[in-house]
Amino acid sequence: MKEVIRLTVVLTVVCVLAGLSLSYVSDATEEARAYQDRLELLSSLNMVLPEHDNEPDSDAVIIDDVTYYISKKDGKINGIAFATSSDKGYSGAIRVMMGITPEGEIITIKILEQKETPGLGTKITEDWFIDQYKGKSLNNARWAVKKDGGDFEQISGATISPRAVTVAVRTGLEAYEKNKQEILGGGDVVQ
Amino acid sequence: MKNVPASNPAQDPEKDQTAKLSVYVSSSPHVHTPEDVPWIMRQVVYALIPGALVGVYFFGIPAIKVIAVAVASCVAMEALWQKLTGSPITINDGSAALTGLLLAMNLPSGAPWWLVVIGSFVAIIIAKQIFGGIGNNPFNPALVGRVFLLISFPVAMTTWPEPRSFFTQTADATTGATPLGALKTAIFEHGTIGAAPEMNLMDPFLGNVGGSLGEISALALILGGVYLIARRIITWHIPVVYIATVAVLTGILWLINPEGYANPVFHLVAGGLMLGAFFMATDMVTSPITNMGKIIFAVGCGAITVVIRLWGGYPEGVSFAILIMNAFVPLINRATKPTKFGVVR
Amino acid sequence: MSFNKELIKGIWKENPIFILVLGMCPTLAVSTSVINGVGMGIATTFVLICSNIAIALVRSYVPDQVRIPVYVVLIASFVTVVDLTMNGFFRGLYHALGIFIPLIVVNCIILGRAEAFASKNSVFLSIADAIGMGAGFTLALVMLGSIRELLGNGSLFGFPVFGGGYEPVLVMILPPGAFFTLGILTGVFSAVAKYRSKKWRKYVIQDLGKTTVVRERI
Repeated sequence: MKEVIRLTVVLTVVCVLAGLSLSYVSDATEEARAYQDRLELLSSLNMVLPEHDNEPDSDAVIIDDVTYYISKKDGKINGIAFATSSDKGYSGAIRVMMGITPEGEIITIKILEQKETPGLGTKITEDWFIDQYKGKSLNNARWAVKKDGGDFEQISGATISPRAVTVAVRTGLEAYEKNKQEILGGGDVVQ
Repeated sequence: MKNVPASNPAQDPEKDQTAKLSVYVSSSPHVHTPEDVPWIMRQVVYALIPGALVGVYFFGIPAIKVIAVAVASCVAMEALWQKLTGSPITINDGSAALTGLLLAMNLPSGAPWWLVVIGSFVAIIIAKQIFGGIGNNPFNPALVGRVFLLISFPVAMTTWPEPRSFFTQTADATTGATPLGALKTAIFEHGTIGAAPEMNLMDPFLGNVGGSLGEISALALILGGVYLIARRIITWHIPVVYIATVAVLTGILWLINPEGYANPVFHLVAGGLMLGAFFMATDMVTSPITNMGKIIFAVGCGAITVVIRLWGGYPEGVSFAILIMNAFVPLINRATKPTKFGVVR
Repeated sequence: MSFNKELIKGIWKENPIFILVLGMCPTLAVSTSVINGVGMGIATTFVLICSNIAIALVRSYVPDQVRIPVYVVLIASFVTVVDLTMNGFFRGLYHALGIFIPLIVVNCIILGRAEAFASKNSVFLSIADAIGMGAGFTLALVMLGSIRELLGNGSLFGFPVFGGGYEPVLVMILPPGAFFTLGILTGVFSAVAKYRSKKWRKYVIQDLGKTTVVRERI
């Protein structure tokens, strides 16, 4: 009996001490972690948005669980960024951050998350692939890969990943067109 | 020690680490057959000739180049390794040359030379010599080489030149899909098998399809396989059971849902099943010893092949299936060990 | 003298990866590039030093029956500290190493050294052991990472090494490449160890009436 009490006491003391020190470390790093989270979001937003003087993450609208980040210059809306995704990737979902002008023309896109085959599907993150989406909108492009009669290059050996990206971007553009009025909220728009 | 001549390197063991055991114990039976390693290897090469010729006929000069580079580099790798490690050079037994030929038959005919050389390196050095050379490799060397290349260079390894008659070959060959590749794409895009299995099945039977240069003609490979069985190099168990397993499994699924699954005849003649069943799975070193073991091995190969072809990421599963079952061979051998006469288990 | 001995042994004679064959999971999983290898190595070394110190300190107060739970709680705490710190200050590395940071908890090297060394030795020697083992682990990861990144991606530390004509051998940055590289490096380590060995084994071979003596290093 005495033995059992001793074991219990030792384990309890160790666990309590560990718990206390961990809560201290967690508190101490909380600010830094939140800062890094915001930095990560802002850096991907800055990559897809035009030059702006507001903070897009505070000028955001949430519609249908999608957050639309709005960038402004001199009080006028000059770009919208939001994440879109497709589960048609070769292995798992592909998440894309896209930046568009208020008229619905793509500024550029950024692949946020993908688990495609290294060296094949992962080519969707390369510049030449990303660049072909620039300046495209729902009206001025056929939204499919070339193999399916569209305008976008596929990657030899991996047709599935480019197809998934194309679908994701098109879905994003369609969602934007549908909710355009609500997103812009009657704000001034750069012409 | 007195009887050992002064020149015998074994006398100074610190200089010569390769002193060999050489025990000459002789007992009955003393009957000799011509069967030795070079003879067996020669027979397998003869059996592969029809398949290789069909490949050369349909893919032309590039196919000859791939075969030549593969055989030459495999033999060179083996000689180089044995020279560097100071072990006896055994390239004359023909096993390295055979590995080279099998590797070439598993590659697309448009493979560039460096791809073939890397494949030979992996097959001979990584898959064979590191494990101790001939007779000690747990995995089929040519298949290890092929799978290594397939995973590393998916684009080059899945660029299939279109077959055409040897006499109408032109320099700029067009490329196309293999029957199994077309099937996979159709299922991915439309959820149904599409038109791929409705092709004239005589084409893959005779070899007029895209694919690895040695796998395209089921007929030529069956001829070679029958020769090997007639020569008693291999027994019928592995090829017959392997092919039957694939036919039965794909047949059942086809009967249940002919929209979603291709018919079994298509699965038999398309892809590398014949090459795998007759030549790769039957490799003496990497297949089980007993007939019961061979049957278990072949059923496993067939089942894995079907699973990969129907539900896997790759259109073809023969190489993976055989390599996976190679890993089980020691276990199968242990489980199917015959009891000694008179021993009660 | 003894401190140095414990320090050196982890790098060569008792290298945790190539000789003790501990901690295979992170070794195989995160050695896809040099940076990942260095990051994982440093994170593990940090946890190892902390846990070895802590365990050497408490070893005389912890009853034998509960020593493993106590060690695990201590190790898990240090790993969580590393996890939170990396999350807050080294975001890029945190993403690259992903799930393998929390999994340092179950890295056999750490519990193995706690059980085999820190629970029996002074704090002073345990620090040497931890630094040596950590350095050996980091060295192994860097070796694996450089070979795999060089062949599988054509780069080192993320900078392209070969010209544009180089076709990366993709399999090397995929899981099978980890096994190939680890197997070959382990083979090289044992071959060198054997070559440098001072121990000999003697064979006496009787062959057709002749007797031959063969000596071989073991």
